[in-house]
Amino acid sequence: MKRRTFLMGAFAGTAALALGVNLYSPEFSLPEDSEGKDYRLLFSVLLPVMLDGALPDVATHKLAAQNRTLDAIKQSITVLPDEQQTELFELLDMLENRLGLLVLTSSMTPLLMRSPAELTDMLETWRHSYFALLQTAYLGLRELVMASYYACPEHWSRLHYAKPELFN
Amino acid sequence: MAIIDPIVNGLNSGWLHTDASQLQANQQFEADVIIVGTGAGGGVAAEILTQAGLSVIMIEAGPLKSSSDFNMEERVAYPNLYQQAAAMKTADKAIGIFQGRAVGGSTTVNWTTSIRTPTEALAFWAQHKSVAGLNRESLDPWFEQMEQRLNIHEWNYEPNRNNAALKQGCINLGWEYTVIKRNVAGCWNTGYCGMGCPVNAKQSMLVTTIPSALEKGAQLISRAKVTKIEHHNGQVFALKAQALDVNLRPTDVELLFKAKHYILSAGAIHTPTILIRSQVPDPHKLLGKRTFLHPTLLSGGVFADSINGHSGAPQSIYSDEFVWKNDADGELGYKLEVPPVHPILIASKTLGYGASHAELMAQFNQLQVTIALIRDGYHPDSQGGEVHLTPKGFTLDYPLTDAFWRAARRAFASMAELQFSAGALKVLPISDGMPYLSSWKDAKESIAQMSLAPLRTIVASAHVMGGCPFGEDEKLSMVNSYGQSHYLENLSVMDGSIFPTSLGANPQLSIYGITARNATALAQKLTDGKG
Repeated sequence: MKRRTFLMGAFAGTAALALGVNLYSPEFSLPEDSEGKDYRLLFSVLLPVMLDGALPDVATHKLAAQNRTLDAIKQSITVLPDEQQTELFELLDMLENRLGLLVLTSSMTPLLMRSPAELTDMLETWRHSYFALLQTAYLGLRELVMASYYACPEHWSRLHYAKPELFN
Repeated sequence: MAIIDPIVNGLNSGWLHTDASQLQANQQFEADVIIVGTGAGGGVAAEILTQAGLSVIMIEAGPLKSSSDFNMEERVAYPNLYQQAAAMKTADKAIGIFQGRAVGGSTTVNWTTSIRTPTEALAFWAQHKSVAGLNRESLDPWFEQMEQRLNIHEWNYEPNRNNAALKQGCINLGWEYTVIKRNVAGCWNTGYCGMGCPVNAKQSMLVTTIPSALEKGAQLISRAKVTKIEHHNGQVFALKAQALDVNLRPTDVELLFKAKHYILSAGAIHTPTILIRSQVPDPHKLLGKRTFLHPTLLSGGVFADSINGHSGAPQSIYSDEFVWKNDADGELGYKLEVPPVHPILIASKTLGYGASHAELMAQFNQLQVTIALIRDGYHPDSQGGEVHLTPKGFTLDYPLTDAFWRAARRAFASMAELQFSAGALKVLPISDGMPYLSSWKDAKESIAQMSLAPLRTIVASAHVMGGCPFGEDEKLSMVNSYGQSHYLENLSVMDGSIFPTSLGANPQLSIYGITARNATALAQKLTDGKG
């Protein structure tokens, strides 16, 4: 039934999100079975692919940036409206179970065991799919990751950007 | 240098503010007038009615935040100040919508562009939508009044490089352009209007009309969401609201509001939503329909020199070259503007991931972004969207029609032509599958062939309008030309929901001016001219 809700409702886009604050969590509480679950492992597989070229080159810095982004993703999710959270968790749950993977990617191989090239293939298939479901899955994950990564001032050095210091 | 926070000072001086998240028990409030929403409509109405000697209560679903909270970071501003943490989308996810949700509404986070309602829109409303008494001559004095009140003046400083490119392209191509009027006083020209003005220069409702009303004894209830209008025999007798906690989740505390007159100023999504949920009479099934968005396309131009689109007044130039090119109800026109360029905004509203996206982001400071806002609601194939209730809230269906996509293709071409003319090295129409284009000739051919589709083409909106139209013909409108409900004697609507089409211009000044007119008339009626 959960999957059906996701399939019918399509997946939430998550444009511009927050980190480090939890002042906005509209409407209702998280779905009970998702409380406390942060899908860290799942995202740790996706981040090197989605942020390739953006993450720092030095290994220790790269790991730190990925961990920071994982924290940011967790925070980003907390400020999403309940309906978007529900759709997101349904997608993430599907990506963590074999049947869901089969539906979304035509393969039961866990994402953890796929190469970066295979993960890119998966994202590209969704991105260029004729099915709105797969397109929205791609767009939702993409926006969540990008918004969370670029929310962090410590990730702005490649942009040569910093906010002004008005009040020193 | 410390910035004085007028809200903190006002609260310390004894303004009547109730943060409903702190209430432990149900409570009842009474006043002459209850106003739901504190944006462009609610703010102006509150000041005018208070000045007329009426007691006023303003109810706001969002929090009361002020300059002390505005730290110029998107990660703080979006969840604090925007509907759905700025992640609101249409039902099919094809359009992202930015709308404010805090005291001051969208005026707290808009980019300060102030434009009088275009003459073409007023003429169309008079001719086709039964709107009476609103024309250039009758409305301009109200716009003048609000321009004076909110210090709206032409921006006479050098536009930032992002806007200067728009201006230069227009000059080179012989296209119309206009220097924008902005509602600012003592602007620091930093470019962070969209995250709440950190120096209180923006003359939003938050720092002008709302403080003025509070000074005169009005009450503000924040973090309270109006859920229902109680009505009987053509009269409203109460509003019910739910207190929200600090995370804006409903608490068990219920609030009841009673007044002589009630004004809905909750914006073009929430005003119709409240009315539909309350089952107010709607014999012609107009509520929540014809919702307009100015659906907007983006084009990125990479320049050799620094554009620094994050810095400086975010909007200071626009071009109306293509807005009314055809007849009002002919092929859809579009207004050319630029947005501020900030990390989350650009990272989200661009395409792809991995190396290609990282490359785009590495050019962050060389990126000039032009936007085209499509004028919806006039052409027979542009009838807008529809708000539907869900058990937990609402959805907005907005079909992107063939007429829209034809306009989008023309708009992408105009934006590319403009950007190349202004000196762009390459141009990227923000629609998946498009490569960087290297010349106007290349762009012209590619854009003519490009594939455009929902979810592949990035479409955004910052202007929600319609859903509760005004006019004299009950078959076409829910409220009359003064915003007074056709069906409930003591209910008015004063916000962007009354517009029977989109405006073809950024909406804040239209809402200010028309609300000033309508709230003044209401004040006279309620005080019998004694105010």
